[in-house]
Amino acid sequence: MFGIVEQLSPWFAHGGTRSPGGIGEDRFDRCLRVGGWCPRVSRQSTRRGVGSPPLGAFIIDAEFVRRWIAEAAARIEDHRDFLTQLDAAIGDADHGVNMHRGFTAAIATIQSAPDQPAGALLQEVGTTLIYRVGGAAGPLYGSGFRQIGAIVSAARSPDREVLLSALRAGLDAIQALGAAALGDKTMVDAWQPAVDGFEQTLRAGGTVDRAARTAAEAASAGVEATLPMQARKGRASYLGSRSIGHQDPGATSTAIIFGALERAVRPPS
Amino acid sequence: MSAVSATGDRRGTIQSVDRAARILRALGSSPRLGVTEISDRLGIAKATVHGLLRTLEQRELIEQERDSGKYRLGAAMLQLGNSFLDNHELRARSLMWAGSLATRVCEAVRVRVVNGETVLIVHHVFRPDNSLQILEVGASIPWHACALGKAVVAFMPPARRTGLLAADLSPLTGRTMTDPSSLRPALEEIATLGVAVEDQEAVVGEAEIASPVFDHRGDPVGAIGVVGPVERLLPDGPAPTLIAAVREAGRGLSRDMGAGRFAARG
Repeated sequence: MFGIVEQLSPWFAHGGTRSPGGIGEDRFDRCLRVGGWCPRVSRQSTRRGVGSPPLGAFIIDAEFVRRWIAEAAARIEDHRDFLTQLDAAIGDADHGVNMHRGFTAAIATIQSAPDQPAGALLQEVGTTLIYRVGGAAGPLYGSGFRQIGAIVSAARSPDREVLLSALRAGLDAIQALGAAALGDKTMVDAWQPAVDGFEQTLRAGGTVDRAARTAAEAASAGVEATLPMQARKGRASYLGSRSIGHQDPGATSTAIIFGALERAVRPPS
Repeated sequence: MSAVSATGDRRGTIQSVDRAARILRALGSSPRLGVTEISDRLGIAKATVHGLLRTLEQRELIEQERDSGKYRLGAAMLQLGNSFLDNHELRARSLMWAGSLATRVCEAVRVRVVNGETVLIVHHVFRPDNSLQILEVGASIPWHACALGKAVVAFMPPARRTGLLAADLSPLTGRTMTDPSSLRPALEEIATLGVAVEDQEAVVGEAEIASPVFDHRGDPVGAIGVVGPVERLLPDGPAPTLIAAVREAGRGLSRDMGAGRFAARG
């Protein structure tokens, strides 16, 4: 049984110990060049909330959402097979394919709604992910993005503080659905340190760029930390102690999404 | 499992056999281990570990990797595992029922037996649609988080059921029932319906419908159930055709196990 695990295990022994398991900075930077879909919309045409902040300050606008989702989709496409291989070891070998299908559909959703404000776009991305990713990741990421969108929609001026509370609320939605805590070897192990890192950087007076960078780094470190963990949630928990030594695919895709966020908070030059 | 052998009552047992068993379990939970790692992990002197490993290797229960010198489980373990499954009566009798149920409803089917507080999957028929699926035979799941477990526990004698309800009921998802006061009426309902339904209580996005299987004494010995995406299994509550098919497979398998016609008594 678990024939695929055995076939892959020599590969994991190396992939696992080699530090960020293939999604480190260099890998992310390489992904940036992968043809991400980034429509050029002049900044003047971008919708802004009432009482717009001074030009140049970070604001969650539709353009930011497009950049984030397009960047995430491109990186997921680049890592599709890697995610599926990770999932073959401790899940049901469909995470990469499912995430790729879902984020491709999310881009189509965004393209078909050119006039939507940022919050509504994020909510629609969430709904798309629920139905198009499928499996456990669909409802989890979908409800996360729907909650992020709800917080952004409710904000009068969606600045970096709103991004922080939105990311935090996304984590809460994921935890409400999956009941996972830090150390259970799930996406929470990347998402929670990422939000914590984002918050600490903002509290220390850091810029949104720096906060997003800290978040992306914390998410990658969180992925690495899943290696020695025994899964306590999801299908991987069926394996008991045999899940030890494998990198969690859900945490990995979360780190990819936070890597994309780091890129998206910087306006295109 | 390994905690039992490490801390449990070992009176009347043989230390070297116990140590050998712990080494096998340790190797079963890691891809490969060296002598020092095993010695550190189990708190057994290196020389002793070495002797035990050599003995196990001679019996082909473990093997040493040529390159790294580390140890991993051997081919004889697969034969032992297969023998366990082949000698398992419920599993043997379930092959035909599980196969025809999967074909009939076009979903994956799993057969489980209760093993302490968890249910052990002893047979798994893939969803017959050529999609890539991973064999879950050997996996164990807390009884309270899956339909197969609840289907069996619902028909257990009250004392055993109370004991299981008092044990650790930790959540696997946000929907896992962890409160005995909500699980108890749910089990009573299952006993009345003869079928258990689980809605994303073990894995987010997955549902399961299961029927208990009884032996010749009328005791619940396991369960057979359909598992799949929640939107297909529970589109608007459980699909009636699925319920009927699962219940029929449970009854048929019970008859094969020697149960009387009215075994599924509430």
